[in-house]
Amino acid sequence: MERTEALLIADLCEGDETALAPLIEKYKRMVYRLATQITKNHADAEDVMQETFLKVYRSIRTFRKDAAFETWVYRIAVNEALNFVKRRDRRQEHTIETTAEAEFEADARYRAIHASDPHTHAEKAELRRYVTDAVNSLSLKHRTVVILHEFEGLTHAEIASILNCSEGTVRSRLHYARKKLRTLLKPYVDAGAI
Amino acid sequence: MRLKCQKTQRLLSDYIDETLSERQMKDVALHLDTCRTCKREVIDLKKTRHLLENFYVEPEASEAYYARFTKTLQQRIEQNPPTVHEQARGVGARLTWQLLARVRRYIDHCVPSRLITVRQKMLPYYALVATMMLLLVAPLILKQIPTGENGEYAFGHLKARLFSTSTPTLYQPAATLAIQQDQATAQPAEIRRNVSKSRTTETPTIDSGSDLWQFTDDPVAEGYILTTLRKNSKETLPRVALDIDSELLAYAELPSQAAPGQYPTDREVLTDGRYAVLLLQGIHSGQHALQQYKRKWSQFEGFSRQLLDVPLETLSITEVYDSMEL
Repeated sequence: MERTEALLIADLCEGDETALAPLIEKYKRMVYRLATQITKNHADAEDVMQETFLKVYRSIRTFRKDAAFETWVYRIAVNEALNFVKRRDRRQEHTIETTAEAEFEADARYRAIHASDPHTHAEKAELRRYVTDAVNSLSLKHRTVVILHEFEGLTHAEIASILNCSEGTVRSRLHYARKKLRTLLKPYVDAGAI
Repeated sequence: MRLKCQKTQRLLSDYIDETLSERQMKDVALHLDTCRTCKREVIDLKKTRHLLENFYVEPEASEAYYARFTKTLQQRIEQNPPTVHEQARGVGARLTWQLLARVRRYIDHCVPSRLITVRQKMLPYYALVATMMLLLVAPLILKQIPTGENGEYAFGHLKARLFSTSTPTLYQPAATLAIQQDQATAQPAEIRRNVSKSRTTETPTIDSGSDLWQFTDDPVAEGYILTTLRKNSKETLPRVALDIDSELLAYAELPSQAAPGQYPTDREVLTDGRYAVLLLQGIHSGQHALQQYKRKWSQFEGFSRQLLDVPLETLSITEVYDSMEL
């Protein structure tokens, strides 16, 4: 008989390691998505995934039963990914693009694509790449909020809980991220390429 | 008008998410009816959101990737099982939350809701903060616990007993192992005179003719080996040492003075008098005991190095447990 999530968590707390596999199965795609989107790197995402599930396994006894397990996993995954990016950037002396630079680059890319006629060149595949690049060009904080809200469908309160900040901060970041995206995607928005 | 627009535009993101209050939604809608700029902004934001929803490519990996990932993760988990400290922390956290939940339910049940103030509702969180403070202060308090005359921890039930069974050693006057046993019925053995009995930095007087390690002949089911830490070391005592309730506690000390060439001089620092504990629970006899000991040993880098100062062959674990008839 298939065990429920609550039962799996209880079994894992009791030291039953076989309960971990179904939980990994359920959340691996979500964690992978988050890790890849935040780190913007497939290889780094695997490290984040490993650390996330290791932490879930090791800290499962600290999980409060009255909280949502999914949100708890989200919190661990997001924090692991954010910490990973910060460490990586420090280690590699990563050149962090300023918002203005990112904007300029995105705009330049748009102009290159649409040097002639946007309707003839902006195929859907290209548009997908462009939209994805626009999201990736956001700052880490803005990108994280956009990913959690727009793609993972979390509420402001859930995001605030995961990021350990106020709902107002989440709303503010989302507001500015959307304005930035609107600027980056303006040619498509104006051209009605939807 | 301009101020109104600025104020409205700050709300537009929430407006398209419909997360504003009813009143705010109405206010914004009214403004949008009269302001083409803001209305254009709303349309653009909606189009942007539509682009994200329909054209953003979410990353996805193959099943083979996930299978490989799961296998690697399982291997890591097997290689790095949760430590005793992590398990204890988990149990502590769970019990704390259960307790807080009960307190909260009790308050909700006993006190009429109209009488429950915000302060009362926060009581469980105050209790949590107090518990955390206590946990932070506890190690400092434990450090202040005086030691007994024989140098053992003031755990009450643990009594230091030194036994004089000799063990073949490589070094001449180096260390003496003391066994502390809480078995009230155990026959006290002869206490060696050359062992430092206080947990101070005083240099113990060591008989130059004594053996390195002395172990008890009495059978002991489980126990801990205690050895001194390096002087001025930044290594801290493993917390597990504070929680032990053992039948056996042993510690070792090395002399500060010794004839040149008899043992490495850096082992002198072990006379600092600070102790470290190595968990040896559930160890069985024979070669397996030695392997298990080594494995546990490797988990505590801080003082495993100190134990390394005392050569393993000197410690002679196999022989120890043979002699203890484990």
